[in-house]
Amino acid sequence: MLDIKDLTGGFDGNEIVKGVSLKVNPGEIHAIMGPNGSGKSTLSKILAGHPVYEATGGTVTYKGKNLLEMDPEARALEGVFLGFQYPVEIPGVNNAEFLRMSYNALLVNRGEEEIDPLDFDEILDQKMKTVDMDPKYKDRFLNDGFSGGEKKKNEILQMAVLEPTLAILDETDSGLDIDALKTVANGVNRLFNKDRALIVITHYQRLLDYIKPHFVHVFSDGKIVETGGKELALDLEKNGYDKYIASGN
Amino acid sequence: MSSLTAETGLTPEAELLESHKKFMEDKSSSNFSSLNKIGAQQFEKLGYPNSKHEMFTFVNTKSVATGFVSAKGSEVNKGQIAEFVYSGCERSLVVLVDGQYRENLSDLSDLDNGVKLVSGEEALADSKIREYLESSVQDENDTFAAINAAFCQDGLFLDIPAKVVMQSTIQILAISSGANGENESSYPRVLVRVGDLAEAKIIVRYAGLKGNYFVNSVQDFLIGNGAGLGLVQVETDQKEARNFSKTRLILNRDSRFSGANVSYGSALTRCHLEARLKATGSEFRFNSVGVLEKKEQVHHYMRVYHEAAQCSSDMHFKNIVNDQSRSSVDGTVIVEQDAQLTNSDQLINNLLLSDEAHADSKPNLIINADDVKCTHGNTVGQIDEEQLFYLKARGLSEAIAKTLLTKSFAASIVETIEFPSVRKNVEETLLKKLEANDG
Repeated sequence: MLDIKDLTGGFDGNEIVKGVSLKVNPGEIHAIMGPNGSGKSTLSKILAGHPVYEATGGTVTYKGKNLLEMDPEARALEGVFLGFQYPVEIPGVNNAEFLRMSYNALLVNRGEEEIDPLDFDEILDQKMKTVDMDPKYKDRFLNDGFSGGEKKKNEILQMAVLEPTLAILDETDSGLDIDALKTVANGVNRLFNKDRALIVITHYQRLLDYIKPHFVHVFSDGKIVETGGKELALDLEKNGYDKYIASGN
Repeated sequence: MSSLTAETGLTPEAELLESHKKFMEDKSSSNFSSLNKIGAQQFEKLGYPNSKHEMFTFVNTKSVATGFVSAKGSEVNKGQIAEFVYSGCERSLVVLVDGQYRENLSDLSDLDNGVKLVSGEEALADSKIREYLESSVQDENDTFAAINAAFCQDGLFLDIPAKVVMQSTIQILAISSGANGENESSYPRVLVRVGDLAEAKIIVRYAGLKGNYFVNSVQDFLIGNGAGLGLVQVETDQKEARNFSKTRLILNRDSRFSGANVSYGSALTRCHLEARLKATGSEFRFNSVGVLEKKEQVHHYMRVYHEAAQCSSDMHFKNIVNDQSRSSVDGTVIVEQDAQLTNSDQLINNLLLSDEAHADSKPNLIINADDVKCTHGNTVGQIDEEQLFYLKARGLSEAIAKTLLTKSFAASIVETIEFPSVRKNVEETLLKKLEANDG
């Protein structure tokens, strides 16, 4: 589904991702773990098409297409979803209305009719239950004044509604208490099936108690320095990132 | 120094005084005659402004200087104005055509008990009203308000008696007919008195039927002790039109004013608002939103005088400027020596959608008291790239995402408009301008 080969890139001429190769197949959950500043988030932003971040070398193929050539919105319409580490607050944009617009954009892209607002409301209500979000957040402005936990839940809600094929969750677990973490993980697990793939970027092993990865990649200094199964995450939990940072240097 | 005008070779002052002389000769004597005279004297004192005048720094006054003829007040029928009447105001509607009150177009059947509406001519027969108006013109600092006094022939006076809590919302619709060709001027004059402990809701809407007219209006709102006034002024003029207005508010003890201004955009719109918080405990809130494109201009000039202790004022302006449009906000809050414990906030936000658009802001504070809390601020920005990326990352096209963001910029003001039908129209019509601009 996703094939990253020797990807390099960064922003403002700084190379932060320094040669990443990663293959993700449908039905797989990949965890990317690494210390702060190792370039994990930069990788996710390059994959989602953030205008400030630029790929300087390598290729990224998604479902046979050159992902790097696509606009961010085209990537989203093709089923790529980035769960933001820091979801942006947009006062003035209604949360539910925004989600409906987004949902409709996907429908139209597939050649289907836009959904009736009332029907969408039903879908939204049901999805909000799965992420344990109070219905009052429908009428709030997008992420505006949300707590850190609510923002992350809102990301998972968007994911649950949009049902992407490939979701990249960038430190969705940071800043969450254990209950919120369970809720978020539960939302992610509900969505996951054999046709979809997931890349979970995290700093902490804790999330992986609830989302079971098939592969764990250790990221350091812009590269994947080790790949293993979920036991690798436990090892990281015990021994920390020190040895990778040393090797990175 | 004033430039000479092309048509007559006279200075704008001389030309206006000349046409005033003729105006006075032609018209029959009325209750307005003495106001007209005082207006002309005040105009002579103030002179015709250019951009060096502090009050007109951002406004090109040349384009309204001359060549304008007083509108005659032509026939207009109900069908022509129906689209300008807000839903819910059909039976509490006051219509002025070219500054003249039109009983046949107005409908007062829903007006609350005791609310009295009289024509300007009748109102001026009341010596108290005449004295107030005449003294306000003698103290007038705005040339165009003085010109209004010099030429106005009618208007209306709305009296909301003490303790009347109005259920209906009154719409004052100021129509410019543009019927007699180009460059018509009209001088609507409105005086509203909200009695002690009364509550009133008023919409003032400007609209034109056609042409390059100049509507130059003055409105006075006297808000009694403990009274409340909700007011929204909406400029929905013809695109070529010029609209100057002076709004004066007098707030008495413990009175409340909550106002909004919405500019749909025209060749030149200028709003001068003067608020005097005369007695303890009065509260003034004002929000304004403008959405401009092409060469449209909207200019706000605002002076809020805190003359007594324990009053508060809060102002928030938002302008969205696209293409070669221009906006300006020149706002000063003056806190007099006795106005201790004043609370005042002023914020101006501008959103620039094009490199050629222009937004000037001049927030200012003059504080002569020593125990006050006053803030002022100003931002000029473009669309936030992070917000734009966030929306695009959820599949929204660049055009739709930008529209959503510009609308969201206006939303915090739009949602404060207390009148649902005005708000709906703003959302459906004014904010549509932002969609048309998507490329």
